[in-house]
Amino acid sequence: MRMRPTVLLGAVLLAAASGTVACSGSGSGSASSAFDPQNCQGGTLTVLNQGGLNEFDPARLYTSGGGALPTLVYRTLTTRQRVPGEPGTRPVPDLATDLGTPSDNARTWKYTLKDGLKFSDGTPITAADVKYGIERSFSPDLPGGAPYLHDWLIGGADYKGPYTGGELKSIETPDARTIIFRLRRPHGDFPYLATATQFAPVPRAKDTGVKYKNAPVSSGPYTVEKYEQGRKLILARNPHWSRAVDTQRLACPDRIEVTSGLDKTVINQRLVSGTGADAKAITTDTTVGPEQLARLDGDRRLAGRVARGVFGETKYLAFDPTRKPFDDVRVRQAFAYAINRQSVVNAVGGTALASPATTFLPEDKAFGHRPHDHFPAGAAGNPAKARELLAQAGHPNGLTAELTFPNTDAGGYGPKVAAAVQDALKQAGITVRQQPLGEEDYRTITGKPATQPPLTLQSWGADWPAGGPFLIPIFDGRQILRDGGNFNLAQLDDPAVNREIDAISRLTDLDRAAPRWGALDAEIAKKALLVPLYHPRTVVLYGKDVKNAYIDRWRGWYDVSMVSVR
Amino acid sequence: MIWYLLRRLAAAAVVLLALSAIVYALFYLSPGDPAVLACGRGCDGERLALTREKLGLDDPVHLQYWHFLEGLVAGRDYSAGPDVDHCAAPCLGYSFQTDQPVTTMLLDRLPVSASLAAGAAALALPLGVSAGLLSALRRGRLTERVMTGVTLLGFATPVFLIGLVLLMVFCAYLQWLPFPAYVPLTESPARWAQNLVLPWVALALIQAAVYARITRAGALETLVEDHVRTFRAYGLRERQVIRRHALRGALIPLITLTALEVAQVMTAAVLTETMFGLPGIGKLTVESVNSVDLPVVVGVTVLAGTVVVVANTVADLLHAAADPRVKLA
Amino acid sequence: MTLLDTELAPGAEPARKVPLRGRQTWRRLRADRPAMAGLAIVASMIVVALAAPLLCALEGQDPTTFHSGLLDSARGGVPHGAFGGMSGDHWLGVEPGTGRDVFARVVHGARVSLAVALGATVLELLVGIAIGLGAGLGGRRADAVLSRLIELSLAFPPFLLALALMAIVPQSVPRPLLLACVLTAVNWGSVARVTRNQAMALRGRDHVAAARLSGARPARIAVREILPGLAAPLLVLAALKVPANMISEAGLSFLGAGVRPPTPSWGQMLSTATTWFRTDPAYVIIPGALLFTTLLACTLLADGVRRAVDPRWNGRS
Repeated sequence: MRMRPTVLLGAVLLAAASGTVACSGSGSGSASSAFDPQNCQGGTLTVLNQGGLNEFDPARLYTSGGGALPTLVYRTLTTRQRVPGEPGTRPVPDLATDLGTPSDNARTWKYTLKDGLKFSDGTPITAADVKYGIERSFSPDLPGGAPYLHDWLIGGADYKGPYTGGELKSIETPDARTIIFRLRRPHGDFPYLATATQFAPVPRAKDTGVKYKNAPVSSGPYTVEKYEQGRKLILARNPHWSRAVDTQRLACPDRIEVTSGLDKTVINQRLVSGTGADAKAITTDTTVGPEQLARLDGDRRLAGRVARGVFGETKYLAFDPTRKPFDDVRVRQAFAYAINRQSVVNAVGGTALASPATTFLPEDKAFGHRPHDHFPAGAAGNPAKARELLAQAGHPNGLTAELTFPNTDAGGYGPKVAAAVQDALKQAGITVRQQPLGEEDYRTITGKPATQPPLTLQSWGADWPAGGPFLIPIFDGRQILRDGGNFNLAQLDDPAVNREIDAISRLTDLDRAAPRWGALDAEIAKKALLVPLYHPRTVVLYGKDVKNAYIDRWRGWYDVSMVSVR
Repeated sequence: MIWYLLRRLAAAAVVLLALSAIVYALFYLSPGDPAVLACGRGCDGERLALTREKLGLDDPVHLQYWHFLEGLVAGRDYSAGPDVDHCAAPCLGYSFQTDQPVTTMLLDRLPVSASLAAGAAALALPLGVSAGLLSALRRGRLTERVMTGVTLLGFATPVFLIGLVLLMVFCAYLQWLPFPAYVPLTESPARWAQNLVLPWVALALIQAAVYARITRAGALETLVEDHVRTFRAYGLRERQVIRRHALRGALIPLITLTALEVAQVMTAAVLTETMFGLPGIGKLTVESVNSVDLPVVVGVTVLAGTVVVVANTVADLLHAAADPRVKLA
Repeated sequence: MTLLDTELAPGAEPARKVPLRGRQTWRRLRADRPAMAGLAIVASMIVVALAAPLLCALEGQDPTTFHSGLLDSARGGVPHGAFGGMSGDHWLGVEPGTGRDVFARVVHGARVSLAVALGATVLELLVGIAIGLGAGLGGRRADAVLSRLIELSLAFPPFLLALALMAIVPQSVPRPLLLACVLTAVNWGSVARVTRNQAMALRGRDHVAAARLSGARPARIAVREILPGLAAPLLVLAALKVPANMISEAGLSFLGAGVRPPTPSWGQMLSTATTWFRTDPAYVIIPGALLFTTLLACTLLADGVRRAVDPRWNGRS
């Protein structure tokens, strides 16, 4: 839960996705043979990114399914299935032998580690190392990770990490290969959470606290040769890893060199021209710009080097219904009718990069998406209907509202979207005053109900492809966090909604859970607590000599662990 | 002369000190809590307190400034509990948003900015000086008019506009050059130059206009001086007149006034780097301003002020050394 | 004379003591064809800026309304049709990504550009003259303090400082006003220096001494006897400052530190244009040409004013 503004997490953490379109798998450009997983090793892969690399400590990373790059260094109890298409939205065992054995109504989860697992320094990986890795993430010195563990594990809310707080009793390691988790409430999707980097083993002897990110001990196919915060990450092969102990990652390139801090335009231009090392380059955070979109029409060779997919994410307009004038449902409905989704979509790059959203849940089966549109605004808004509702609500002459949003467009809900929303609302007689805030201010202010502005632009990304992590943080009454980090901006505390959330969470058969999340989404939407704006889409280039750059449906991006440059 | 030198240097030092104090005060007393800004996401009470301690924000302002100066000369440690970050001299501050000393960040980007500045100067100097000389020697003719017109264009055009036009013509329309992406000189000299051509030209056109105007003024002044007229009357060849006199006459003002234009060139460089996405100091400045990374903003501003003051001082000294008419008292 | 005392204009010489003779100057200026062309363009730009709402009403558009239907959404939001979607309804096409009317935006952009350039120039003159007179006429101690202050202000890299200042000032302040103030804060030094040096020089003149002896108050002396003598160099300086401030505004807006997005500005449009230069060249050319033309006109005019005020400059530069 807790949404992740994409800017922050950047490349490394770009989270889950469910794809609609699988991409043309093999690389084009070079005349060499098709991709052969048995014979793909070698070469250096270049990764060109705008952001990311601000953090590489497994405790502090906020990823879904292990992220793009962290998953190359950190193996976790479970991980996302590395195959194209729909099965890619499922978790599979990674360090563990299976997806876990639930008992006590999904309140207890037991895992057994595989045989022969080793760290990059040759020492064996034990259950205690996994437990220690999780415990570290509770330390106040290492914040930033997904907060689910704090909420789910018994005693997690008060635990302060191993440096000052001893050990966490709700994680048991009866022997070197067994680890048992005891949860406060039933959670059928625990195997999805176990894909996060907090579930990576950390040897206590090698833990250097906040400096651990500079020289982490690897359990994955690569070790960190060099890490410069925000700028560079160089990965080299881990001699103690082999495909025999890891059936998921292909890990084809011998070296991976990541550069971050580049401009969007520069990255795309370098991928297009592909001179020198750029022929073997990819990006894990930069979609194409309008310039490349226009070019893809006529350039078939370039079009063959594009991957398209969808990351489960929704950008939306959020109300604080406890404050005037949004305490009146008719005012909220008026806003919903007035929205011009066509101009919002254009503001973020057009239909190739965004699809208009009327549902909060992303459009994928894994989320249990069920189409609905309770306040049909059409493609370009219905200002007449909005005015009518405003008049009924006692605002015949329209009203004035202040819209708060982050001051950069990087997250896709910044000034450009705000301008589009402002214009659409103007047509309905609503005057919007813009209130752009710096990234940090924005998060601090919107994260506390006491300081939360009445009208904000928001973004929510899937931590894993399921309805729970999408609906719970936003609509569960017990998730209203008064001290900060709150995302239940509507401050909805509806016993019926809470009951249904608990009932679905108990299900360990996720195929049965999905449609019920969809139904819950459709039901809550009637309250008009937020206005979904759009779901982003991925259109991303890769270098001429890059092969097997298929879109991973969990994260909506190509999977670096499967890419080859040979 | 020695006295003049010493006094000039002392004055420069005072100006620098005052400058750093003002910049420091301006940014650290500005609304908004630097600790919140520095601490970043998910920062709660406990971490915030640690950050305050680390930044020394609990100290009185003058003490904070003193530590800043101390850091410049001797380096300093930022510590809170067991966590120590060392910032070696000359420490311009520590960016908590990126967890790096500002000096390191600047040094890291220096090669890009230096590449840009050096290449642009190498193009601009010959271009500007010859244009200035030409227009001085061809007074009253078409050449002069054209040259003056071109120089004027250089003054009237913002560098980002030149950059955009160059991009449109050479990247989009003719497709002769790639969109600039910095490649280190050490990696591939050819691609380094190829990628920097457009930024160089954009910046050089602006600088050349400055050089041309200065050269022209200097050369004109010399050419009307009596001894030059006499030499000409004696039948000295035009080329010699140019080399011996016009150029020399222009040289001193060229050096000194160029130093005075340092601030303007820095402005143009910031815009050029941002325009072409070159990861230099200028772009770092813009990024830090946008993310309100105050330590970096302070560091860059102090550094830029230093460059301007040093350039001015050097200009004064050169001028004094070259021109005996300057009062040294 | 140290070099810091030279005039700020590129290649210019120390301000000379030339009294301003209004009619004569105007006659010379009128004979200067490039300067008059510049004046004509600047004047028409001012008219356009003042009449912006009227012109938009004539076209039937406004600068903020989105026209999402006019964009090719599948190609990233490029306008449909040639030349950036120029049509009878949208004379200069529409903005890529939003579909806002380009004509309406550039004429409103002219307002920002001119208002900031002129406003900042006026403010710089006021502040600079006040401090300069204070230094020049206020006695030795005042001069010592104020001169150091002037020197200090000139040691700052003005654009960088303006950029940084724009970032820390609260968002609620109206941006064009803020821009003018910030540009003043970093640029007043040159006016103050010229004023001080002129005032110092004029102080010793006979007519000033006479006024002082006749018991006139210092303020009266400043206004009656000194200011007229300052008119010539300050007029030249002001004329040069207008394009300089215009460039600064465009630069700050280009870097995203200028006016806020719903308010149109040329610099900001050009900044957006960096992502569209390949697919929608019209969107670069229109604001670019306007900015360029206006700046060129201002520069020509400034050059002309300088020549007209002091004809001996003609031969120099």
